[in-house]
Amino acid sequence: MNSLVTVENIVYLASFGLILIGLFIVFSDKNLLKIVIGIDIAETGVNILLVATGYIHGKTAPIFSKLGLKASQMVDPVPQALVLTSIVIGFGVTALALALVVRLYQKTGSLDVSNIRGLKW
Amino acid sequence: MRRVISLVLILGFGFYLVTVIGKIAFPSSGEQKGSVGVAIVNNAAEQTGAANAVTSVVVLYRGFDTLGEVTVLFLAALGLSLLMRGERFIAAKIFDESFILKTGSFLLFPFITLFGLYIIVHGHLTPGGGFPGGVIIATGFFIVIMTSDIVRLRENLVSLLEGLAGLTFIGLGIVGLFGTKGSFLANFMGKGVFNTLLSAGIIPFIYAAIGVKVGSELTGAVGSMFLSPYGREENE
Amino acid sequence: MVNPILLILVPLAAAFFIPILAMVWKNGSRYVALLVGLFNAIVSIALLPVVMTKPIHVTIAGFKAPIGIDLLAGPLGMVFAVIISVTGFLVLIYSFDYISDKSQSRYYTLFLLLLTGSLGMVLTNDIFNLFVFFEILCISSYILVAYNRDEHGLEAAIKYLILGSVGSVLFLLAISIVYLKLGTLNMADIADKIEGLTGSAKLMVVVLLLSGLGVEAAIFPLNSWLPDAHSSAPSSISALLSGFVIEVALIVLMKLIYSVMGALQVLEIVSVIAVVTLLVGEFSAFRQGNIKRILAYSSIGQIGLILFALSLNSRAGISAGVLQVINHAASKSILFLVSGYFILRTGSYEYKDYGGIAKKMPVSSLLFTFAALSLVGVPPFLGFFSKIQIIVAAANSGSTLLVSLIVGILIGTIIEGVYFLKVVQVLYFGNSESVSPVASEVREAPFSAVLPIVLMGLVVVVGFLFLPQFNSVTGSVATEIVRKLSLASLF
Repeated sequence: MNSLVTVENIVYLASFGLILIGLFIVFSDKNLLKIVIGIDIAETGVNILLVATGYIHGKTAPIFSKLGLKASQMVDPVPQALVLTSIVIGFGVTALALALVVRLYQKTGSLDVSNIRGLKW
Repeated sequence: MRRVISLVLILGFGFYLVTVIGKIAFPSSGEQKGSVGVAIVNNAAEQTGAANAVTSVVVLYRGFDTLGEVTVLFLAALGLSLLMRGERFIAAKIFDESFILKTGSFLLFPFITLFGLYIIVHGHLTPGGGFPGGVIIATGFFIVIMTSDIVRLRENLVSLLEGLAGLTFIGLGIVGLFGTKGSFLANFMGKGVFNTLLSAGIIPFIYAAIGVKVGSELTGAVGSMFLSPYGREENE
Repeated sequence: MVNPILLILVPLAAAFFIPILAMVWKNGSRYVALLVGLFNAIVSIALLPVVMTKPIHVTIAGFKAPIGIDLLAGPLGMVFAVIISVTGFLVLIYSFDYISDKSQSRYYTLFLLLLTGSLGMVLTNDIFNLFVFFEILCISSYILVAYNRDEHGLEAAIKYLILGSVGSVLFLLAISIVYLKLGTLNMADIADKIEGLTGSAKLMVVVLLLSGLGVEAAIFPLNSWLPDAHSSAPSSISALLSGFVIEVALIVLMKLIYSVMGALQVLEIVSVIAVVTLLVGEFSAFRQGNIKRILAYSSIGQIGLILFALSLNSRAGISAGVLQVINHAASKSILFLVSGYFILRTGSYEYKDYGGIAKKMPVSSLLFTFAALSLVGVPPFLGFFSKIQIIVAAANSGSTLLVSLIVGILIGTIIEGVYFLKVVQVLYFGNSESVSPVASEVREAPFSAVLPIVLMGLVVVVGFLFLPQFNSVTGSVATEIVRKLSLASLF
């Protein structure tokens, strides 16, 4: 690859950035809601990376929409299917996390993670 | 202190990530990948009869994953109803929404539902399918639930639709298992004419089941979150 | 011959069906769940001898691997399917009377989905399918931990969820790297093509898998969620979680390391981490007064022991590890199920309040003692044989590191013995007046609870009579793990 600023490189770097930002928020932030958002960001980052693995330079979407569009001109459809599944799973986990946070707030009145973080040896 | 340590660890991990993936990612772009997906897309049109290769992957080649995904959604809706259900289900509204909001949502509802149905039904021809279509239909329901004060959410109907749709999905698969093809989720219906609505065997039916399931599940999930007594500070 | 895919599909279909049933028949869900549990237990036991000779390979959707997804029911898959199904069935019997609130249809749905997720994980041959079933397992356990909706349960569940989600992100990252470089998701195909993944990339994938699955498998330092989660869940669920959920994650991780990736160089570090996990778990258990927290920390210790056995890279070591899994599944379930009724009858979680309870609950206390002794490794209980096999396998390995780690195991065993004996002593010889005021209701647990506990107790107590059979079964599992998978061998 000659140039650093190509479509694939930008996408890969963006996905790494999202994953790292998401994980950083999860490890260092004190507010439960922000941690849930951090998980969501990290999951989005991994999804972007997964989709990007299917990209083949110069090819188009894997749908036989036009007459005469051949399979050899298409990108890889499998990562797109994987990401579909992964997004839905991520949604499920986030919804559940938010429900837990709401109930926890109702019971304890605080969103601060310091009470639950750390091992109670 | 925790922030500094986390930052250092994350940056180290990031550097490691970039160098490792950099070495393997860059060479593979630009040439024909020898991957399973390429083999699939070369054969997808004749083997499944669906114009949308991603759909044939989602429903047939990787249909088992889709079954698992549908189960995860089911779990999420179940968890939400378990956690957010209080002693009584609020049917009355707390705020009085404006007239525009209320009427507008009622007017939009049929169009949104129609659009969602279109997306579901054409899943094997255009991008979309059961999942986005179901979400769109659910969105139509959301805006009515959130703004109207005369519509109530029937829990039982939602659960019934959910369960039946899920059983339909498994049922269609079981027909493949015990029928002629001998494996779960095999495509036992004819392939039809390519690029028309009635093509691609069981794909439209499975996507329809998924669309119903996703729509009813999301409606139920948002319903239990929005109408629960636990999210409100003004209440208990 | 029954298709192994039914082991996964039947609980799943029942889980979809139960909410509909609950609309017309409130308490019907327990019967459906019980029937499904019985079906799974019978089918998995019946299929076990079949797969010992030749593994069953199931193709899904009619597309052959690696294009489609497939299931591989070999010794590993079936042995664990038996452990999961039988334990699940027995705990379902226990739950019949133990769970009596109005959300019980949801409990049984979640229970069946937990079984589905675990069974899917051990039977699948596709790495993304593994991820999907892993998520099903994780999410059902997050919800089940919060089932009682009390403050501790909610806190434990959110902590578990956060750590588990980070694990999932790392796992998915590993899958992305594998697909990027090797272009396939089928485990056998990956094993064939693994040469294409060079040193640093392969190491990264293995580290990501270790961290991702390691959260669920409760490896140190990723296991801070376990004490809270296993102690806040309803006791029947704690039995499942400690009994097989963490072990399933562990064995799948080991299967990936050995037969798919062939990454044997990490095993040394893994064995050190294993012993650290063991010591941390046992030392922490020592300081607890809450009976369920003791049992939860003990699970961490046992996982450390099992991981150590599995990391020995020898057939003897791995088969000893699988035997220890069987022992732990039976013993820890007994301990948790018995504690469930201790807590219910006395109203207290602290074992110091159970003084002399053995007089009023003789069967429960006796089985508790047997299970505890089996975990510590006292003969003639099953645990003695599994522990001895592990130590012998480590001693025979010829590596000085492994031999020195045996010291850690022995220290851990001593600590384990001390705290379990403290509890048993209170049960039998403790001061009866310290039993809390609800004590007038203290009587033996109902038949639905005693039956499964006794059946599991049989495994632990007389298991040594069947040791040759156990060993041949675990030996086949070990052979399968150590051998590299290959696509050609499946067809």
